[in-house]
Amino acid sequence: MKQKKTAAVNDQWIRAKKVLQKKFGFRSFRNGQEEIIRNVLAGKDVFAMMPTGSGKSLCYQLPGYVLGGIVLIVSPLLALMDDQIHALRAIGEVHVRALNSMMHREERARVLSHLSDLRFLYISPEMLNQPYICRKLAQQNISLFVVDEAHCVSQWGHEFRPDYLHLAEIRAKLGNPSCLAVTATADHRVRQDIIELLGLREARQTIMSVDRSNIALAVRHAANDEEKMTRLVHLIKKVRLPGIIYCASREWTERLADYIRGMTGKRIAFYHGGMDTEDRRKIQGQFLNQELELLCCTSAFGMGLNKSDIRLVVHFHFPGSMNAYLQEIGRAARDGNPGLAVLYYTNEDHHYPEGFIDSNFPDDRFLQLVMNELDRGHLKVKSKEQFINDLKERGAGDTAARFIFEQIQSRLPANTYLSMTNNLRVLVRKRRSVLLQELAVMEKYLKTHECRRAFCLSTYQEQLRTKPEQCCDQCGIDLSVFGSDPETSEHKYFPVLNWKKRLAWIFDEEPQ
Amino acid sequence: MYSERLFLFIIWQFDGERTVSGIYHLLKGKKTSQSIQDSYLYHLHMLYHSCEDVDRQEIWTLIRQIHANGWIRPIDANGTRFVLSTSGNEKLQQMNAQLLLPDALYMTNDLMHEGQFWLRLQLLIQTVSALNDQQSSFLPITKQSSVTEYVRHVLLSSHLNRAQLKKRLYQEMYCLLAGIPVAEANCLAAQLSGARMSGLTLKQIANETEKDLFECRILFKSALRRMMNRVSEHEQDFPIIRSLWTSSENGLSSTAHETLELLRSGLSIQEAAVHRKLAPGTIEDHLVEIVLKNQTFDLSDFMDHALEQSILDCAREANTKKLKEIKRRLHDKASYLQIRLVLAKHAGEVVVL
Repeated sequence: MKQKKTAAVNDQWIRAKKVLQKKFGFRSFRNGQEEIIRNVLAGKDVFAMMPTGSGKSLCYQLPGYVLGGIVLIVSPLLALMDDQIHALRAIGEVHVRALNSMMHREERARVLSHLSDLRFLYISPEMLNQPYICRKLAQQNISLFVVDEAHCVSQWGHEFRPDYLHLAEIRAKLGNPSCLAVTATADHRVRQDIIELLGLREARQTIMSVDRSNIALAVRHAANDEEKMTRLVHLIKKVRLPGIIYCASREWTERLADYIRGMTGKRIAFYHGGMDTEDRRKIQGQFLNQELELLCCTSAFGMGLNKSDIRLVVHFHFPGSMNAYLQEIGRAARDGNPGLAVLYYTNEDHHYPEGFIDSNFPDDRFLQLVMNELDRGHLKVKSKEQFINDLKERGAGDTAARFIFEQIQSRLPANTYLSMTNNLRVLVRKRRSVLLQELAVMEKYLKTHECRRAFCLSTYQEQLRTKPEQCCDQCGIDLSVFGSDPETSEHKYFPVLNWKKRLAWIFDEEPQ
Repeated sequence: MYSERLFLFIIWQFDGERTVSGIYHLLKGKKTSQSIQDSYLYHLHMLYHSCEDVDRQEIWTLIRQIHANGWIRPIDANGTRFVLSTSGNEKLQQMNAQLLLPDALYMTNDLMHEGQFWLRLQLLIQTVSALNDQQSSFLPITKQSSVTEYVRHVLLSSHLNRAQLKKRLYQEMYCLLAGIPVAEANCLAAQLSGARMSGLTLKQIANETEKDLFECRILFKSALRRMMNRVSEHEQDFPIIRSLWTSSENGLSSTAHETLELLRSGLSIQEAAVHRKLAPGTIEDHLVEIVLKNQTFDLSDFMDHALEQSILDCAREANTKKLKEIKRRLHDKASYLQIRLVLAKHAGEVVVL
């Protein structure tokens, strides 16, 4: 009997390896993947922390071809869903769909009526919380319940999402399929939260190092913005591209892109949340198609980006936490070749992340004003969108407005809104101090005299075991390793502006 | 600079009766009856919806610049309404209106549909190009479901195979662009995406061609309107592109059109409002839109001829389009709606001399 079971497990594993080769085109698993997939196939609950770019999605995509039924993937971001579906379609998978609130009603109905044909279903937590959708799913055979970006479950996670709190309940309604929770960044506290809140049973944990050994780290202090700009231009002329340059504001992305274009003649564009959706998609497309060498952007860019040959990530302003920093530089060099991360800072730059933290939360006076207006009925909650808009008209920032909306959902009907004010104040103070602490660690990173890599790892209670040759500016880096080779830098791309030529290219016709 | 001249022209037309926000709503094409009505009243309807991607900050930067040049001056305390200064007037006299506004900008019949049409056209071309390139997936230029569903429908209901469809669409596009001034055609085509080639944004086009961004916007809009106009007039020559939008009567928005049907069937404004579960004010807005776009519309259901004439006379005499002022001068003998209707009906004439 026992032998039979082992044989079945072996069988399954042989199939898994075949799928790896035939479907995904890899000869072997990468670090961590094998352990996770073995546990998933054995029906265990699994918690996995894998750094971005280490092949997270394969851990639930591959089991989809070995287990029967549907792999259900809860994903918080539309862009992420899009991108993964895009990638699966590219390897020839047709049985993959998404369900989210942005979809057309008819399209959603089409997906719901063909559930049993699916191998993969990506779903937003909001959709999953809809009773009728949950009922439909309960009639299906869900073989694996995946929670992507699982740190969103935790209050302490940097992108807390209240809709994630009901996931344990929903999993039970779906017949308790085994669960795989994955995230790229979670410290000890967040990990505990995830395991508890998702109700993982005897969870097998695979915690991988956050270290990306092929990315060299450098930090440069500058006296002022002008010096930063001069140094940046100098760097860009020397090192291999494509590259991303992160800025703290929309204005800076535009200003810097213009400046660099003028100084270097590189093909560069800017990208930020204030642009039209269509324009953003065009710029992203250009970057993916190698039509751009450089992109100046805010943190709005990069989530779900599927480009493995980014050679350079620059921070023209530093982000508010090591978490965010590692996420952003993690977009470099996913192909395993050398990548370079350079951060420039001046003594004034901390104003940007500080201002950002302030705009995250309503201040005391505003909180009281809003609660008062709610009690008097001057302000009403008809829909999320309307409410958030009304708050913005009263001067709240986007995140602060969302924060208030989330919080008032928990009001008991017997209580007034005003009675919540004190609790909310305490909560704001707590969350604020967490963010300020994270910012303090980030600033410590800038000024440290020890190895940058060791510092990064220590924030995740990890120790640096092997130092790569190109480690960091403290340990010494040889910039020539990242130097651009003359051949590729000579190859310049020019956009086709002549309509006859462009049309002929698009339609694959002879120019007339 | 083109943008400066364009703004001088707009400010001259508004003549201090509308704020800078009014300029923004006009260019952006805000879908309220106020903005639509203004565009007709001040003879600026060809510029309505001409710069969809413009933002307020950009407009203010430009206004400040023109102000610094001494071409305009504010006429209210908060500096939100402007008129031309003497030197601004001179500057305006020097320029050639035809160079500023290409003739096709006035082809506004399908204005309400041009935004959706343009997205559908771009997505259709991108999809056809990707299919031809054997790409099973690509980053679509838009995810708006109203657009993706429509294009999906067009592709699925076509009786042509992929190769034929590609050929046919190419010919239609070639034929259309060949009939358009080259600068306009380039501005439009450069935005198109295809397999392994993403379209440029208007800002990028302005950069590459060293033109003013507003000029690129206007050239593009003119190209688009020219194209839609030609397609409507020669439907049989452009079956694929024709299928990307449905024209409505007199270029009415679909909701105003629904109201028109009810009014035609004999319902009053009140009754139409109840029937459509809308506020009477909204029905009144629709009515104004209907009159603006069909100036032969008979107003006798809403006032007698004498009142219509006295409203018109008053507007001419006072040289204003401000409702409040007209109402005051008529000693409240006319309602706001009546004044709006008369102004709408005569928006085509040069009321202000």
